[in-house]
Amino acid sequence: MKKRTVGMLVGAAVLSLTMATGALADDAFRVAYIARAQEDSFAAWLADELRAQFDTYDDMTLDVFDGQANDEKENSLIENCIANGYDGIIIQANNGEAQLPYIQQVVDAGIPCITTNPRVECEGTGSIDADPYEQAKVNCDIAVDQIPENAKVVVLLGPAGNFHSTERRNAWQAEFFDKRPDVEIVAEDIANWNKDEAMTLMEDWVQANDHIDAIISMNDNMCAGALEVVKDDPAYDGVWSYGVDGTAEACLLIQEGRMTSTGLQSAGDLAQMNAEYMHKVLTGEMEVTDVYDNVPAPLITKDNVDEYVEMYKANGQIKE
Amino acid sequence: MKNSKFGQALEKYSIYFILVLMFLLCSLLNKNFLSSRNIINIARQLTVGIILAYGEMLLVISGLIDLSVGSVLALAGCLSIYSFYATKSILVAMLVAIGVGVGCNLINAVLVTHFGVPAFIATLAMQMAARGAALYSTNGQNLLQLGNYVNVGQGSIGVIPVPVIFMVVITVIIWYIVNHTRYGRSLYAIGGNEAAAVASGINVKRSKYITYVINGILAGIAGVIFMSRVNAGLPNGAVGYEMEGLTATIVGGTSFSGGIGTTMGTLAGAFIIGFLNNIMNLNGVDSYVQQMVKGLIIAVAVVFDIRSKSRKTRKVILVEDDKKEK
Repeated sequence: MKKRTVGMLVGAAVLSLTMATGALADDAFRVAYIARAQEDSFAAWLADELRAQFDTYDDMTLDVFDGQANDEKENSLIENCIANGYDGIIIQANNGEAQLPYIQQVVDAGIPCITTNPRVECEGTGSIDADPYEQAKVNCDIAVDQIPENAKVVVLLGPAGNFHSTERRNAWQAEFFDKRPDVEIVAEDIANWNKDEAMTLMEDWVQANDHIDAIISMNDNMCAGALEVVKDDPAYDGVWSYGVDGTAEACLLIQEGRMTSTGLQSAGDLAQMNAEYMHKVLTGEMEVTDVYDNVPAPLITKDNVDEYVEMYKANGQIKE
Repeated sequence: MKNSKFGQALEKYSIYFILVLMFLLCSLLNKNFLSSRNIINIARQLTVGIILAYGEMLLVISGLIDLSVGSVLALAGCLSIYSFYATKSILVAMLVAIGVGVGCNLINAVLVTHFGVPAFIATLAMQMAARGAALYSTNGQNLLQLGNYVNVGQGSIGVIPVPVIFMVVITVIIWYIVNHTRYGRSLYAIGGNEAAAVASGINVKRSKYITYVINGILAGIAGVIFMSRVNAGLPNGAVGYEMEGLTATIVGGTSFSGGIGTTMGTLAGAFIIGFLNNIMNLNGVDSYVQQMVKGLIIAVAVVFDIRSKSRKTRKVILVEDDKKEK
């Protein structure tokens, strides 16, 4: 009886694994994509776009793996993909430094490797990224003129040590704060990309300060959280607010006139470039080391937001 | 004599003394702390954590734990939003959230009571499964355009925010259950000595089931409040909220070894943590320092808990020895 139960469980596990992985095409190039963390909404969006892009190729298949925002897990996944003999590996590093030796192992195994969002500098690999400095800079360029003299601003940061958060903050320092020494940062703290954490911080900051003229956020989620706090307060009508990512929520806020601008980090563009370059590498059209590109970081404001809202309606993230 | 009585009172009500002390200290440290808006802010910010803390408190008193509550909250909240999209009914959305919370916790209860899986492991497994289900059901994307759904988390009746009303009502219900029902008393017996509880005729399995079901109801309600407060369905939201609930519970005097804990203590514990977070944000304390301070407070609270229990145990032994000598 027990043997039969164990047998049934093993059978079910094998069956579900087979169903989950799907039938493999024998003659197609097998590519692995190791995502930083599927619980990160941008990473999940990028994974979806990659799947959609790879579906358009007859001679490539894509398997997606989740690093769960854990360096040890992500490194293990890289090792597994090498052992599993994938023809190409795309890596979205959780922490570039931590993944570097494992990316080197991919290169040493002779497997073409592209690092993406963020780029990891490793000899023998290619890379496609969205430049975080540029994403913030496009906001800074308009904020320099928009934010009033002697303004008081708050700054919301991503996780400590995160490359994208750090680079975006560097852009704000060099392209805005250094040019506008009259602007005072009355509060600056980490909200870990999270809307709820940003809300809690903003609720406290609103109490601690007579007025806040602008919200400078390293991503849209946190900016939306801060705006949620002051949305019914007439004193904050027209508060200047800047984010990065160009999420569906940010586009809606910009359309409603509640958010000023955001620098788009397009998962669609990243996915399209990754699929295209990986295909060229696998078919011998180019060397992986020649793959080096950045997706553009267009600024989204109320003047052009409608086209992005339409984009999100088309992919279902915004309802009609 | 007076000193002894004062000492006893201090020991018995220490958590409330700390809360009052904390309140006075915070009001001296920042003039904005005492503003009515700030106090309402603190209450609103703490609501979800307090509701979850009550569930953890019931479990910890009876020698159990739930590490899945943050993930279950996210799953319940997201599925409730889908039901709201379909029906436009907040009541249906709330019932769906509660149903999901109860369903997940029934699975926890079955694993713990029938299969003997340690609560730590069973709920850890549920933590992963529920988070995966939340991400799968939303494709990892935030759910937007919530409409009237946000009224639960953002609305007010008079000057009192709706979430705070939920918190007060739930506090009264939990206090009543713990102090005035047979089930409530059975929790302490089970947590104190499960074998003795079985021997004395308490239906331990049934009590554990009820505890997980209550925990599920609370997780469902917290899910709706959380999602409506942030005006989005966040499948990756509330990560680590089980620790928020446990922290409030432990700081509030609930013993990790079971059998000890009170509703009001948990409420006080949550407010101590809330005051601490609030005053550090109001005064612009660096976030790294904030983490260090919070860690220190938790360590001090647990040390105090262990020492006060060992003092009580010593007293009991001494009284017993005196009786024997007489």
